Amino acid sequence: MSRPAARFLLTRGPEFLAFLVLAGIPLAVTNPYALGLLTLLAIYGILLIGLDVTVGYLGQVNLAHVAFLGLGGYAAGLVVLKLNGGLAAALAAGTLVGFCFGGLLAFPALRLDGPQFALATLSFAALSTTALNELEALTGGAQGLSFSRPPLLGLPLTPPAFYWVCLLLFGLVWLAMRNLLASKWGRAFEALRDSPIATDAMGVGAYRHKVAAFALGSSLGGLAGALYALNFQYLQPQSFVYELMVILLLGVVLGGRKNLWGAFVGSCLVVLLPNLLSNRHLFQAISALGFIAALAAGIRGLLKRQVRPFQALAPVVSMGILVAGGLKVENTEDWRKAIFALMLFSVVVGLPEGLMGFLEGFLARLFHVDPPALPAPAPLDEVLPPRRAGEGVLLEVRDLRRHFGGVKAVDGISVGIRCGEIHGLIGPNGSGKSTLVNVISGLYAPGDGEILLRGQSLPRGSLFRVARAGVARTFQNLQLFGELSALGNVMVALEGSYGTPLPLVLLGLARAEERRAQAQALALLDLVGLADQARAKAKDLTYGAQRLLEIARALARRPELLILDEPAAGLSHPDVQRLLEILRRIHDRGVTMILIEHHMDVVSELCDRVTVLDGGKVIAEGLPDSIKRDPKVIEAYLGGLPEADAPAPA
Amino acid sequence: MPSVVVAQMVVSGALMGLVYALIAYGFQLTFASSRSINFGQGELVMVSAFVSLTLTLHGVPYWAMIPCGMLFGALMGLVIERTGVRLALEQKSEGWILMTIILGLFFFSGAENLWGRDDRPFPTPIPSDPIHILGVDVTPLELSVGVGVLAIMGLIETFKRRTLLGKALEAVSTDRDAAELMGISARKSIMLSYALSGAVAALAGILVSPITTVGPTMASALILKAFSVAVVAGLDSGFGVVLVGMFLGATESLASFYLGSGWREAPGLILLILALAVRPTGIFGKAVIRKV
Amino acid sequence: MLTVQDLHAGYGASEVLHGVDLEVGQGQLVALIGANGAGKTTTLRAVSGLVRPSRGKVLLEGREVQGLEASRVARLGLAHAPEGRRIFPTLSVEDNLLLGAYGRLPILLGYKGRAVASLQRVYDLFPRLGERRRQDGGTLSGGEQQMLAIGRALMADPKIMLLDEPSMGLAPVIIQEVFATIRRLKASGITLLLVEQFAKSALEVADHAYVMERGRVVAQGSPEELKKQERVIEAYLG
Repeated sequence: MSRPAARFLLTRGPEFLAFLVLAGIPLAVTNPYALGLLTLLAIYGILLIGLDVTVGYLGQVNLAHVAFLGLGGYAAGLVVLKLNGGLAAALAAGTLVGFCFGGLLAFPALRLDGPQFALATLSFAALSTTALNELEALTGGAQGLSFSRPPLLGLPLTPPAFYWVCLLLFGLVWLAMRNLLASKWGRAFEALRDSPIATDAMGVGAYRHKVAAFALGSSLGGLAGALYALNFQYLQPQSFVYELMVILLLGVVLGGRKNLWGAFVGSCLVVLLPNLLSNRHLFQAISALGFIAALAAGIRGLLKRQVRPFQALAPVVSMGILVAGGLKVENTEDWRKAIFALMLFSVVVGLPEGLMGFLEGFLARLFHVDPPALPAPAPLDEVLPPRRAGEGVLLEVRDLRRHFGGVKAVDGISVGIRCGEIHGLIGPNGSGKSTLVNVISGLYAPGDGEILLRGQSLPRGSLFRVARAGVARTFQNLQLFGELSALGNVMVALEGSYGTPLPLVLLGLARAEERRAQAQALALLDLVGLADQARAKAKDLTYGAQRLLEIARALARRPELLILDEPAAGLSHPDVQRLLEILRRIHDRGVTMILIEHHMDVVSELCDRVTVLDGGKVIAEGLPDSIKRDPKVIEAYLGGLPEADAPAPA
Repeated sequence: MPSVVVAQMVVSGALMGLVYALIAYGFQLTFASSRSINFGQGELVMVSAFVSLTLTLHGVPYWAMIPCGMLFGALMGLVIERTGVRLALEQKSEGWILMTIILGLFFFSGAENLWGRDDRPFPTPIPSDPIHILGVDVTPLELSVGVGVLAIMGLIETFKRRTLLGKALEAVSTDRDAAELMGISARKSIMLSYALSGAVAALAGILVSPITTVGPTMASALILKAFSVAVVAGLDSGFGVVLVGMFLGATESLASFYLGSGWREAPGLILLILALAVRPTGIFGKAVIRKV
Repeated sequence: MLTVQDLHAGYGASEVLHGVDLEVGQGQLVALIGANGAGKTTTLRAVSGLVRPSRGKVLLEGREVQGLEASRVARLGLAHAPEGRRIFPTLSVEDNLLLGAYGRLPILLGYKGRAVASLQRVYDLFPRLGERRRQDGGTLSGGEQQMLAIGRALMADPKIMLLDEPSMGLAPVIIQEVFATIRRLKASGITLLLVEQFAKSALEVADHAYVMERGRVVAQGSPEELKKQERVIEAYLG
């Protein structure tokens, strides 16, 4: 069997098999209860895939998902009841409502992150429950809403038929999601979780991608809500409360974040959990198993010194309480929430990557599947076409000011960067170099002054818009996308390589484009000498390699102006030599550069001209050699030394 | 609609609003020291109220019960810090959000089973016959809420300003590393702030219980509004939460009068989402400078 | 007093220190010089416990302190005036100073009475801080903030004081003043480890100096010896 075929079988085989088995069950089993569970499994599968977009990919605690389930459900129910809509109309309505409310919430809420975001989503969920309860004319209030499932193409939807509809939709969502996550969209989601600042600086709007991701997750919530409504044919606001939200989070976290299979496993859990609790003996067996697993994992982790004592002990104690409680308590159903809490607690502390995350690591060690071969690198001319060294000034900064409180970090700086040159920017610590490039690149808005690129005013205070205008930068404190591969890091920033519209991406029709982008990204990795580490995660690269990767990533923007913020900081001597060589090659392609650097040797070797800052002002400007002899510069660096004492220039 | 009735509702709403302010103040205490808050604070309020009720029913006098209840709240605050927050903070992750939600769920379930699902009255020696002040009827019970809230907040603020430990807390919240260099342990400061926050939550429960009754769900609406107050006012200003809390309390008592009691919660939530859209760091909050 | 052996430390993936050895004797003023990014500040942070060393030892009076929390190390008698001064801008000058003595004052009440003598000593050294004792730390000028940072470290009655770039971002005339202060501290017998990017001025006050480059000590000796060395001259212009 050829390798691609084997890979296809190993990676896609389980999906097909699972789908076929799930589709076949109703033919063999006619138990309506089991069928009901299977239908819920498919519905929760869709719901959890949607929740995983925010919780897994965006890394935010989203407490509003249950509200989208409810709103989508009511939308579908009302379409059926009041408008006599068909199945398609009901599903479309649910999805649309999820999408719209998701977008509406995302716009304000995603300006925040962390606790404030969680609070905002929590409030939205509470508000929607209130609205569903109180808008009695529309929703029937606490009494609930009853309706009957519409036929599909004139045929009545029997329970098995409806199950197949749900399963089919689950399969489609699965495929679409996988295609999306393998495209530039998926990479952007990963990127903005690791570093929103760098995502903006690479011309990929962090905020708009976050909003899009949230709206996408919410529309899946709405779709699942519509299916939920058509499944039960009855809705009431009490179904969509906080407790269900916590169970959904349990599903995603226990299944494994950022993982389609994780959503599936989580959904099995959410569906089966109530049944597990209703049988006391089953519950005791499961809690005992959990306890043993926690104990084994804890001891192993402690022996290998991989975890802190708390991480090893807490799950054991928590599962121990569960076992003890299971023996003592008569009715486990009453303690449902405490049981969820204990299980979730153990998982979050002891198995943060979830069941599938753990299992996949395990399976990856058993079956080694080669990833598909990378294409040959594209010719460098295609990726970074040589520019003619133009004439005149590329970037002009006029009387720029930026103060922080009382600190005049940039205090009236004017400087011109000529086309095609490498312009050094030096000065003692705290002299304003970093603030200057942060203002130019849009991280900070200028307090006063002008920044012109080719005579056009550069956008102010927006990394994203400045990046779009043709300025790329690296960061002194590395801002790589740690979870993405080196190749992925560069591909995030590749501009103009992606043109496939979203629907085609969802259908998986962006593969050719993806290959081309890979080839181009490889060419850039080759330029900085990292082609052989293309697949390594950025966070696993050596420090020197990470610095070079930042440069390759910035070059993927095909910038007119490249700002390098201390690229040699922390590099060993051979690495600095490599860096110099690489920067020269980039220079040969006609890229104009601003170089902040402390190592005078680097500056003298590379720079055409140098500007020296001190106290937020320009104190000297000129050729590197003359700068080194400038008494003002020597004073700034040496602190009021008389000129005669200054060391002779090297 | 006579203006007296409006004034009446505004006053009693504002007094209730001070309870939201007190819980929100508890969030500020932990946020200052650790940039984290307890998402299960509502359950802490409720469990503390139940414990205090149990103490009262066992014959502990009201005034002795209050410090005991607050001590219990402080202990629970420490438990939450140790089990739910510390690990995530050490790993610099936001896992504490989920962890504190989980702990809250656990407390909720425990209370449900230990004390039952029913709402129970909370006996108090403070009379609830209205007295007439400036043309408005106020019950001493409502007044006691206002007095209690302002007293404890005043006490804690005085503690922060007058004692060296209080100044050390402020130092940790402005510059953790620099405070460590002075020999101030950031870990202990965080523990202290969680203990204080727990005590404050317990007091909120004790103050509000005679009005709302005690039950497992007593705090679920309360906590949402405290969240709103904390976010709208910002997580930095004690003065801000008092103002916003009173404003919110007054608006919602008007809303429930004009729109129906089911809409009580709406103003807080709408206010929250609006405030987030206009000023994400809160009205009284400090702006944040992005750093690279 | 302070001995550092084979110290390795860094931030995340990057190791900044690749084995630093140095020693500060009782009553000595030792300077640590070198270009920006050489690892001077990281050395101090690893010594005082703000950065956890990945390898190596830090001995304070013969006692191993590496890996302890910074607050523990501070209570053992090591005061560190960090880079960028890091005073508490929202607290008054006097409160800043009092917190400097946090480890040896009662933490609730009565702390002011116990600190009168130490406060007076700092105000004698820096009369301008005395004049502004009620002002918020954030309203002071850069030079005054540096005085406050030094004064705050002095309040702890430390066995050894680490001073990180006291001249950073200050005007030349203020820098002269800072160095005058350092001379006075030295005369009063305090043990000092000084990090400076202005090598020349640092060498003028130091008893002994170490030159760092890319995370290692590349030269050491008395100022007179060092001034003759090529490497030190390189370190000037970085």
